[in-house]
Amino acid sequence: MNSSNTNNGQSNNGKSSRLDGINRDLGLYFLELSRLRSSAAPTEMEEDEEEAPKELNTINSSGGFLVVAPDKLSVKYTTVNLHGHDVGVVQANKPAPVKRLLYYFEIYVKDAGAKGQIAIGFTNEGFKMRRQPGWEVNSCGYHGDDGLLYRGQGKGDAFGPTYTTGDTVGGGINYASQEFFFTKNGVLVGTVCKEKEMKGRLFPTIAVHSQNEEVHVNFGQKKFAFDLKEYEAQERLKRQMTIEKISLPPNISYGLVRSYLLHYGYEDTLNSFDLASKSTIPPVYIAQENGFDEQDIGYALNQRKILRQLIRNGEIDAAISKLRDWYPQIVQVGALEEAVKYGRIELAKFFRLAGFDDLVQDCVALLAYEHPQESCVGYLLEESQRDLVADTVNAMILSTNPNTQDMEGCLQSYLERLLRQLTACCLERRSANGEQGEAFLLRRVL
Amino acid sequence: MSGCGNCFCIALAISNAITNFCESVPPEKKALWHQEMEWLLSDSDHIVELIPSWQTFLDESKLEDLMINSDKREMLADQAESLLLCLKQLFPGLPHTTLDMSKIQYNKASSKKLISREEWEKRLKLNNVKIRKEDMNKLVMNFLVTEGYVEAAEKFRMESGTHPDIDLATITDRMAVKKAVQCGNVEDAIEKINDLNPEILDTNPQLFFQLQQQRLIELIRNGKVEEALEFAQEELAPRGEENQSFLEELERTISLLVFEDTSNCPVGELLDISQRLKTATEVNAAVLTSQSHEKDPKLPSLLKMLIWAQNQLDKKAAYPCINDLSNARLEDPTF
Repeated sequence: MNSSNTNNGQSNNGKSSRLDGINRDLGLYFLELSRLRSSAAPTEMEEDEEEAPKELNTINSSGGFLVVAPDKLSVKYTTVNLHGHDVGVVQANKPAPVKRLLYYFEIYVKDAGAKGQIAIGFTNEGFKMRRQPGWEVNSCGYHGDDGLLYRGQGKGDAFGPTYTTGDTVGGGINYASQEFFFTKNGVLVGTVCKEKEMKGRLFPTIAVHSQNEEVHVNFGQKKFAFDLKEYEAQERLKRQMTIEKISLPPNISYGLVRSYLLHYGYEDTLNSFDLASKSTIPPVYIAQENGFDEQDIGYALNQRKILRQLIRNGEIDAAISKLRDWYPQIVQVGALEEAVKYGRIELAKFFRLAGFDDLVQDCVALLAYEHPQESCVGYLLEESQRDLVADTVNAMILSTNPNTQDMEGCLQSYLERLLRQLTACCLERRSANGEQGEAFLLRRVL
Repeated sequence: MSGCGNCFCIALAISNAITNFCESVPPEKKALWHQEMEWLLSDSDHIVELIPSWQTFLDESKLEDLMINSDKREMLADQAESLLLCLKQLFPGLPHTTLDMSKIQYNKASSKKLISREEWEKRLKLNNVKIRKEDMNKLVMNFLVTEGYVEAAEKFRMESGTHPDIDLATITDRMAVKKAVQCGNVEDAIEKINDLNPEILDTNPQLFFQLQQQRLIELIRNGKVEEALEFAQEELAPRGEENQSFLEELERTISLLVFEDTSNCPVGELLDISQRLKTATEVNAAVLTSQSHEKDPKLPSLLKMLIWAQNQLDKKAAYPCINDLSNARLEDPTF
């Protein structure tokens, strides 16, 4: 962050340097949060960034044996097949995206040709493009002529029905359960375990192998015959049911909500909450048994509540003056006296206390616009920013508590810490799985 | 090689490094070192008698006692550590991070990746781990609303600006119903439910029966034997005829009348307050569902998900976890 931070003639003499350091940390922390607010959540963007296959790859297909239509969505076997190494194989132009629960695509058998030796499956990058998917390692394929599933060996396993002209067959990957699944005419045929060796980029693959075979492929541009959404919902439900069986310590949610309210200073809510809990049946006991240390987070509850109200209502001046009365060590009086005539700049100064120098720049720019709400720095006037300011002040006050042991306690409520841990665990697990699967997104749950 | 993979590479790399760096090492000792590495890389699964000579070679450093007859993999992990220790002491000038043991340690039993606390805390601070305040507020509001804390929800709306996902007025009604059941006023509860939405009980015969059963229980509890029998005959018996499980429940409940000492009888649990609470919870859920709202708050599910996610990750890595949800404290990773 900026090294040209707070020292603008304001001396830090007589204020504890520890407090300064802490406040700068808190300020930086919230500055980061505020920056991140104005852009979309990175994880959201990441989920969209992965490119999905859209068409067939004409560059590496086994050119001599097949021809791909100009729209790159269908393929036809051109010669007469003679042996096992003249399969017409074509992969999709991109590998299957992994940062999601499922990936799926379908083929439609326009013409089963002479022998109906069609296959659908997944292969890796270096696949020998003259062999059926599944006949070589690191590939799998569901074959139409015998209904067998091939997984890297010449011999296939019994799997499902054969398929021929007029059938729509689909192939997919389930990253959560690490399985391949195949469908025929909208019905699930079966699933098979995706061995660890098949990690790495897998390409949707189709193959034709006898005269006149013709296959069309659908990468999602058209509606699938198989109800993928329903399948996805079922898979999610399965996992959800496993999770629901886990038991929790009694009243833990109650306790966490309570400490959340305490942490952020929602005093009125807390009082109502406590009152109501007394008359629930059975009465809720949390007390000491669950280890909630109210002592520390109940600190200065009323003052924090008042300040939050003032800030949310936009009464920044009143907030600053109260802050000055109650916590002079936080408010550097010198800086404020210098304050400019414009209310908005004073707001910026308030930010400057916490080290929000970049925000100050934006505030000054704000003045130049006639319709600041619509300007690119209009975000500062938004109600949502006020909440951020309120949270900053809240954290700073909590940090003045002599009992505070660690800064983490001031920055994040227990609830936030738990949710972060959940996110990090899911991400780490996904990364251990070769980046396959979904990340945890609180927004998705809500 | 017996599948140790990484351990071998580490040990080999370190061994080479040391032999290359330690020019001052007398040639016989160097030869011994090479010989011992060869033994270690051999196919056998057990190595005995190797340790004492290993220790004398590195006799300047303090080594942990290695077990003899141990599994080769376990031993290699030990050796890797010892070698690292030795390097640390031989080359004190090397930057600490190069020889950071925590980055190279392995769980000897199952080669799990170890993530140190420092490393984990870095991950927790990453951008894509951020949790928005608005989302947490929504979670809290959802809890208050689903559990029926009306006034608290109202106050929370004012204090935080979060909008409840359900009309707060409906909560009061729902809570009144729940309370009635919890207090044993079943007739009152049924009336209230029907006021709210007559379809709830119409479409939910199981729930209706449960409420009727509760009413019977209350009559029995209050000693109104005649009334109880009359009620059972008129209202519950017809239901029992339609449904086998209803009939069984009816019989169980009636049998309360038979016992003098109801606290010890096999169906005594019906008189327990937990029975009322069970029914009350069912009623609460039914009302919520009829209002197109999920019947359970989301927060407990998320907590369960956390426990599950930690267990899942535990299979692949040793990392700081949170064992006590109530204080969200990170505990150092253990093997």
